[in-house]
Amino acid sequence: MPLLQQRQPPPSRGGFHFPERVERVWLRKLSLLILIAAVVFGGGCSGSPGDRGKAESGVNGAILVLAAADLANAFREIGERFEEETGVKVTFSFGSTGQLAQQVEQGGRADVFAAANIKYVDDLKTKGLIVSETQTLYAVGRLTIWSRKGASAHPRRLQDLAKAAIRRVAIANPAHAPYGVAAKEALEEVGVWPQVSKKLVLGENASQALQFVKSGNVDAGIVPISLAKGSGGVWELIPANLHKPLKQSMAVLKSSRNERAAGAFVRFVNSPEGRPIMKKYGFVLPQESEE
Amino acid sequence: MDLSALAAVDWFPLWLSLRVATLATVASLLFGLAVAYILAKYEFRGKELLDAFITLPIVLPPTVLGYYLLVVLGRNSPIGQVYEQVTGSSLVFTWQGAVIAAFIASVPFLARSARAAIESINPDLEKAARTLGLSEAAIALRITLPLAWRGIVAGTILAYARALGEFGATLMVAGNIPGQTQTMAIAIYDAVQSGNGTLAIVLTVVLSAVAMTSLLVVGRYTKGRI
Repeated sequence: MPLLQQRQPPPSRGGFHFPERVERVWLRKLSLLILIAAVVFGGGCSGSPGDRGKAESGVNGAILVLAAADLANAFREIGERFEEETGVKVTFSFGSTGQLAQQVEQGGRADVFAAANIKYVDDLKTKGLIVSETQTLYAVGRLTIWSRKGASAHPRRLQDLAKAAIRRVAIANPAHAPYGVAAKEALEEVGVWPQVSKKLVLGENASQALQFVKSGNVDAGIVPISLAKGSGGVWELIPANLHKPLKQSMAVLKSSRNERAAGAFVRFVNSPEGRPIMKKYGFVLPQESEE
Repeated sequence: MDLSALAAVDWFPLWLSLRVATLATVASLLFGLAVAYILAKYEFRGKELLDAFITLPIVLPPTVLGYYLLVVLGRNSPIGQVYEQVTGSSLVFTWQGAVIAAFIASVPFLARSARAAIESINPDLEKAARTLGLSEAAIALRITLPLAWRGIVAGTILAYARALGEFGATLMVAGNIPGQTQTMAIAIYDAVQSGNGTLAIVLTVVLSAVAMTSLLVVGRYTKGRI
């Protein structure tokens, strides 16, 4: 049966009038809905920061930096300094390195990608998605054992996490977060992985792992020193030799529409102005010997 | 609470959320209504399949929807490539991507509610209209849909609520870019993660108030008639 079957020409006058009241109400509702839609949509369009930001990324110099979660504190400070100095507006999107890399692969447009592990940058390089010569090693990350002030137990060594007093331990998801991988390696290295793995709560990224402990729902976490510093908790550095070095690498993305500003940001992180900030948040700097 | 924190709040996520939810709801209304009408009025092979397919987003976790969307709309898919050639930009990391995610998540609520409403109409009324010479299209527009409006409005509200709250698929497709794709739900997630408790509370209260107000307004407007 055809979907729309024309029977007879509809009567020109005095058509079917039974549901007239209902019909009027219905039309009123529909027109109101469309009116609301127009107002919201129109209002949302005029002069919203989003459209402004979009225009800036081409003309006025703005960049979008995708960065691993452990960089949140350090990069916000570096970003402010960079803006003051260059006038380039920097927007950050922090997340798990693996997820950000996946989004770049699927065509997400951004200017800089700062990973918590060099492997992800290398992967994107193989796929031709980054400007190769801009790839820079900018920091080496360190892990800490973190617990809340006022918590019943403050584990100082990884072995302490196996004790019964610690019921839950948060780490970033080792499946796609480099700090999670390193945490797992360290636990395996000291031989407590079998006990601790049963207590693990996996964060989407390192920030979320820390958030779990901060909220009091998890007893302790293995989190980056860059997030532990200034977090107001009790923390202890995990020896760097217990896991593979967390070599953090960044690069300008091929999809960038503002390669010059993006390149300038990459250099700024490694400059005499950026380096002290990175150091302040506990990163080991590339051309420096390990502490 | 520190009131100076209020002044510093960026309200872009609120406007973006309203815009995304509204556009997604309008799209759901057009598409969901058409599907609901076909499901309610016609018998054809694969009807159950279509019904299950349109309902799937309610059942699947948002991460699965997000992954599907990344694969179907991403750079490596035919659809993604066509979209990129036409608009010059991929859907990933754009607010349009957020609209699509919210649309997919919300359309089943509208389609199911509207279908039930259309099916509950007394078929004699439509038959009477047919004997009086109205075309099928006119019957749909002047008899069936007006009589089913309560179910359609209810479905639209549900769809809007779902679109406003969409998080998982949006984060995967549109990402978390302040000032571009960061909706309310994602801004709250971001504030909690970065330890910004004050901002998280402010945004949470505002989003709850906005959602509550829109539900009350619609409820009042359609008082006792849904």
